[in-house]
Amino acid sequence: MRGHFRQWLEWLALGGLLAFAQVSWAASSQMAVITAPDTPHLTFDQNTLRNIYLKRIFVDGRGRRITPVNLPSGAPLRKAFAHTILHMDDDQLQDYWNKQYFQGVSPPYVLASPDAVVQFVAKTPGAIGYVAVCQVDATVRVVMTITLPSRPGDELPACPGHQALP
Amino acid sequence: MNRYLCRLLGHGVAVLLLGTAYASGAMAADNGDSTGSVWQPAPYTLGQGLYFPGTGLRIGGYADFNFYDVQGTRSSYNVRDLSLFLTQDIGTQWQLFTEIEAANPVSSRGRTDVDDAELDVERLYIDYHVNPYLNFRFGKFLTPVGEWNLVHADPLTWTISRPLSTSAAFALHATGAMMFGTLPVKGNDLDYWVFADDTKNLNIGDDQDNAYTNFGTAETLQNNFRQAFGGRVLYHLSGDSLSIGASALSYELESPRDKYFLSGLDFNWTTHYISFTGEAIYRSSTDNRPDERGGFVQTEIPLWRRFYFIERYERYRSSTPEQTSTIRTTAINFKPIEGIVLKVEYRDGTHNLSLAPTGWLASAAILF
Repeated sequence: MRGHFRQWLEWLALGGLLAFAQVSWAASSQMAVITAPDTPHLTFDQNTLRNIYLKRIFVDGRGRRITPVNLPSGAPLRKAFAHTILHMDDDQLQDYWNKQYFQGVSPPYVLASPDAVVQFVAKTPGAIGYVAVCQVDATVRVVMTITLPSRPGDELPACPGHQALP
Repeated sequence: MNRYLCRLLGHGVAVLLLGTAYASGAMAADNGDSTGSVWQPAPYTLGQGLYFPGTGLRIGGYADFNFYDVQGTRSSYNVRDLSLFLTQDIGTQWQLFTEIEAANPVSSRGRTDVDDAELDVERLYIDYHVNPYLNFRFGKFLTPVGEWNLVHADPLTWTISRPLSTSAAFALHATGAMMFGTLPVKGNDLDYWVFADDTKNLNIGDDQDNAYTNFGTAETLQNNFRQAFGGRVLYHLSGDSLSIGASALSYELESPRDKYFLSGLDFNWTTHYISFTGEAIYRSSTDNRPDERGGFVQTEIPLWRRFYFIERYERYRSSTPEQTSTIRTTAINFKPIEGIVLKVEYRDGTHNLSLAPTGWLASAAILF
């Protein structure tokens, strides 16, 4: 009886660990698209977001400049964003931006970290950024959340010390 | 333009870029309000230009060095293009762009220096962004026919030589007004360009649009617009992996003075292992001048990282001279680092001597 109880406890603990791991993954694989509290006059969907980040859309519906910002090249979240939203790999994107540069169009600004993205977006009207959901704070508005597909080797970093918004 | 002036310009641009990059730690990205903030300027990288956040100014450009040994002329080398781009944001909805080009600042045939340098305003326009789907452009811009003419800089093209169907039948530049943008259509993107040209009254610079731009060509036909009206659409499918474009253009050329109608089709299909590109045009005239028609199909195969093998076949029926040429081009395109492109190609064909003579070409190009 005691042995059965111990085994039952072990299974329960294992199940709890697995559930916890799944919840953690689910949380870390959610990306939030953020703007300043005064949101650009746009209908946000994946296609619009793609065109903003490819600089095919320059202003919102009121003629206000839109400023998309990127994380540094090599950041797991940027890779996930490029794969999920832009549907381009690094070489394709580089070729795309070289051609756009010839037309006078430059790629989105690069900021050093998710914290920098949140701070920049909060203070810059028309700015748009993306961070993990757990990195969002009350200074910005979430206009879209994107569930990222699981890609082995491209797991997103955890967010210690951050409080995710509900 | 005096060649020494062009050289001076070239050296000046180089010194300006190097000096500015060294002295100010110039930025490729905006850093916003940097005082005590967590965001930092991105370092300068080739192919993105120098950005000055305080002024909204970006300076960049490209240059290429070419060597060619083709039938009918002595082996030659030249710096064909030394172009400087300036982009300036003006408020939230306006942007100024200009490209100033020194053509052939250094040129030599055999052991003889050749002085055919020119300095010109290649492009000069201001864009007004109205809303997410509509933009206006005013000034001198590239004629939106096919893909090649819109992105023709040597560091951005697969081969050194240019297909005849991308230059021979229309002016490469237009001066006037254009509206353009991207529209969502059935879940995909449709890019559009509609323009009106009035070069006859608005000419900017004294640029002469050569119909035949290939190295070693003996023909010097020029295709400047007097007036033109036309447009282009480009439909993107499967993300950007398949694009299909169509162009239509009604225009009058300066010489041979006549009215023409041109229609064109183009496509680009990119996969992980191979890509295909093609363009075709058909031009008719209101006079009894012969029709002009032709097209090319090109394949690009990545062999190793950024090392590509390119094969192209083109057939073109020209009206001046009146002949049908076929041109086959085999090339290697290598991008050792971002912003640097090395190319070698061999060109051959039939009835191609005057427009794209048989021979070897090589180039090194930089996008800075």
